[in-house]
Amino acid sequence: MTLKTEPIIVNIGPQHPSTHGVFRLRILFDGEVIHDVEPVFGYLHRGSEKLAEERTYTQIVTLTDRLDYLAAMSNNLSYCLSVEKLMGIEAPERAKYIRTIMAELMRISSHLMGLGFFLQDLGAFATPLMYMFREREKIMDLFEMASGARITYTYMRPGGVNDDLPPEFMPALRKFADEMPGYIDEYERLLRENEILITRTKGVGVLPRDLAINGSLSGPALRASGVPWDLRKADPYEVYSRVQFDLPVGQIGDNYDRFLVRLEEMRQSLRIVRQCMQQMPAGPFRADLPMLLRPPKGDAYAHVEGPKGELGFYLVSDGSISPYRCAIRAPSFINLSLLKEMLVGWKIADMITIVGSLDFNMGEVDR
Amino acid sequence: MAVSALATGCQPPGFFDGQNLWHEWVVNFFPRIGDSICRGMGGHADGGPPNWLIYLVLGFLGSLIVVNIAALGVPFVVLLERKLLGRFQNRIGPNRVGPFGLLQPVADALKLMTKEDITPAAADKIVFALAPLAFAIPIILMFAPIPWADHASLANLDIGILWVIAVTTAAEAGIFMAGWSSNNKYSLFGAMRAVALLVSYEIPLVLSLLGVVLLAGTLNLSEIVLDQRFAPNILWQPLGFFVFIIAVSAELNRAPFDQLEAESELVSGFHTEYSGMKWAMVQLGEYAALIGFSAIIATLFLSGWKGPLWIPGYIWLVTKMAFILCAFIWVRATIPRMRIDQIMAFGWKFLLPLSIINIFATAAEVIAFPDALPYWLIPINIAFAGACVVGMAKLLGFQPKTRKIVIPGRPVIGDDTPGRIVPLMRGGN
Amino acid sequence: MNVGVAASIAFWIMAIIAVVSALAVIVTRDIFRAALFLILAFLTVAGLFITLSADFVAAVQVLVYGGAISILLIFAVLLTRDVQKGNPSNRMLKPAVFLGALFAATLIVVITNSTWKLSGDSPPQGTTAAIGDALVNSYVLPFEIASVLLLAAMIGAIVVARGRDE
Repeated sequence: MTLKTEPIIVNIGPQHPSTHGVFRLRILFDGEVIHDVEPVFGYLHRGSEKLAEERTYTQIVTLTDRLDYLAAMSNNLSYCLSVEKLMGIEAPERAKYIRTIMAELMRISSHLMGLGFFLQDLGAFATPLMYMFREREKIMDLFEMASGARITYTYMRPGGVNDDLPPEFMPALRKFADEMPGYIDEYERLLRENEILITRTKGVGVLPRDLAINGSLSGPALRASGVPWDLRKADPYEVYSRVQFDLPVGQIGDNYDRFLVRLEEMRQSLRIVRQCMQQMPAGPFRADLPMLLRPPKGDAYAHVEGPKGELGFYLVSDGSISPYRCAIRAPSFINLSLLKEMLVGWKIADMITIVGSLDFNMGEVDR
Repeated sequence: MAVSALATGCQPPGFFDGQNLWHEWVVNFFPRIGDSICRGMGGHADGGPPNWLIYLVLGFLGSLIVVNIAALGVPFVVLLERKLLGRFQNRIGPNRVGPFGLLQPVADALKLMTKEDITPAAADKIVFALAPLAFAIPIILMFAPIPWADHASLANLDIGILWVIAVTTAAEAGIFMAGWSSNNKYSLFGAMRAVALLVSYEIPLVLSLLGVVLLAGTLNLSEIVLDQRFAPNILWQPLGFFVFIIAVSAELNRAPFDQLEAESELVSGFHTEYSGMKWAMVQLGEYAALIGFSAIIATLFLSGWKGPLWIPGYIWLVTKMAFILCAFIWVRATIPRMRIDQIMAFGWKFLLPLSIINIFATAAEVIAFPDALPYWLIPINIAFAGACVVGMAKLLGFQPKTRKIVIPGRPVIGDDTPGRIVPLMRGGN
Repeated sequence: MNVGVAASIAFWIMAIIAVVSALAVIVTRDIFRAALFLILAFLTVAGLFITLSADFVAAVQVLVYGGAISILLIFAVLLTRDVQKGNPSNRMLKPAVFLGALFAATLIVVITNSTWKLSGDSPPQGTTAAIGDALVNSYVLPFEIASVLLLAAMIGAIVVARGRDE
């Protein structure tokens, strides 16, 4: 006996409590089961790539802050590396260490937010999120010491960083690096073996290894599917070749793996930060460069392993003070490309958690 | 006669005779008030007003008190929830309005009253307007048989607990009305989930009550309290308590069973389209049900208004209710939400068998010891309940299985230091 | 005026509401509203039981009809298309009218021809225990037969719901 059913289309977003910004999904439901998904982007489009063509190379740093506003330092770093590659220069050693520390702190902060909102989507009423905000606050204090800003830092410059670290920074960072593992253990104790969390995440939203590679995913979402691919290892930039760290890799690529991989990556980031603190030399924090940068004609692409994946800037220079073209490889955007494959067949509640576990940021998706 | 049960009732003459101490007034506050009004009107005297008038006046005054316990209690429970959630979440919670934020409920009420009352253009307007009432009124009705102290229930119904279950089930109609008439797909999903949840959890809810009813031999809430002379029912009925409290949180749509509201999924579920005072009515219903059910839990399992110390019964009851409310808030702050099919499976496969086991075990105990259960049954009952819960969980394969995160043993691409396999996470699998 | 008068006032109010809402169930085109009127009729019938001092039956009426049955009805309505249009007229109209008229005529004949005995006893206080006693002592066989019937219905429902392919 078959029951005649009629699917309904539900529009989720752009205003919805758990679409992580202004993301919109048109979903064809049969009962509560998803049959088809049509993501709609562009509600936050600000034309960053086009705006970059009218800014000087230094001014563009401020635009990068606003891409993934939860990981501004990583964006700064990727852009600055790209300009440096274009100009054929390198930042001084101390600047490299500072930038590595900042990028890793940013990764911790971004993962904290990613995990917090993922758990919020699971229905843990803001409690884990607030715990994670507590630690993110400490990282923001550190960034504030260095850059004076808490969200949009604009701290890095082509050829170095804007300013040297203030004297109170290193003690504060040491304190943070000592405290943070305890907090990560706390999250684990609270959540890792929670029966409901496990039933909600295990085996849900499985992204097979081959599919993840074919979808050109990157970052924790790719590593959770069992692919040990990390630009910090594969194409080391800054000082990553001099520090030791491990790549946590998931087993089957479900929500639970993505959750665990992010938890573990925070520990590895702390490891990197501690090694950088030990190795950091004294010296200049910025290369001696003119106020207006005029890179030679040509193009360059530099990429970093951002918190969400491979974040790359492709710059074409025509020899003037502004780039001729600036293209951004936004990891959030590309990680969303397999959304349909991941969502079809799951229920509304799973849809929310799968989307949350990808940890994307609309500022970066829409650029 | 049922009509007579609706009034607080004049106490029979001589009920309080010879006890005119002030503390007697404090302890028997509610019956005293009823009795005084009754006597003041000249009840029991020849030529006094007819009985129905006394019943009417007393019933009206009693209803006024009980409705206000619900309606005025709700804002403060909301405040308690916000404060406690704040504490659980490393925040302070509301503290701007009045001392310790105590006037926050007043501010909230003013805000809600002045808000625009929006009715969606495509809504079924009459049903949309009636739905909050259909939701809130039955829930306030559930307060009628709750015994606040000795001889102090508004309606000492013979069918007390059945009445509570019946009226709270009727409130579900309000949820459908809201969900359907809003003409919103989120609301519709919320209403559909409400149906599924109600059908699944009503059964273990009622069945887990039967143990208490078997012990007391009555459905009357006042008598169930009086029956718990020696020990609260939670000690005789640990399994029933366990099932009941879970089924109640499903009935109340509290986390982790808040599927029909499920903020991160369905925005607000069945009341997505409500605003202003209509929303306030929905909220009133939800939190009144929370208060009412904590009173029911306290009455059925924690010996209600009775306490070991010489403290007025209503204070005991309110204290126990406060503990239960805090427990509900604690759970809400801690546990993620389950998926609807998992909740169904949990209700049917886990709670229902447990509640049936509980009925059989209790019936056997009652048959074996018809007069009163011996105290040595308490540890046996607790151990039995634990064994049943664990055994059922094992039978269904609910085991927390965590997973290790692999750090590949082979050199990772571009890595000069070989990776290692580290037992980074505790736990098996 | 005594309690009996108050009870008869209550009876008439609820009886009128019950009849009117029962009519509205038939007249209303919107199926959802019809279902709501049906619930109202159920609830007023529960009120009628209370005026007859049958508390237990009243509570069961609210629980089973006001709760469970109405939920099933509304669930069925939620799954129906074109709720607002109601049922289209079809060829079953004439037989339905005929059957309805026949049923009404039978009822009227029976009601007018029976002699209604009025008991002078005061209504029993606390019907619950008596009902429970009667169910498992005097009428245990009908009770068990009803249980078996329900069990069979449940198994049938499960078989239907599972479908063939599983």
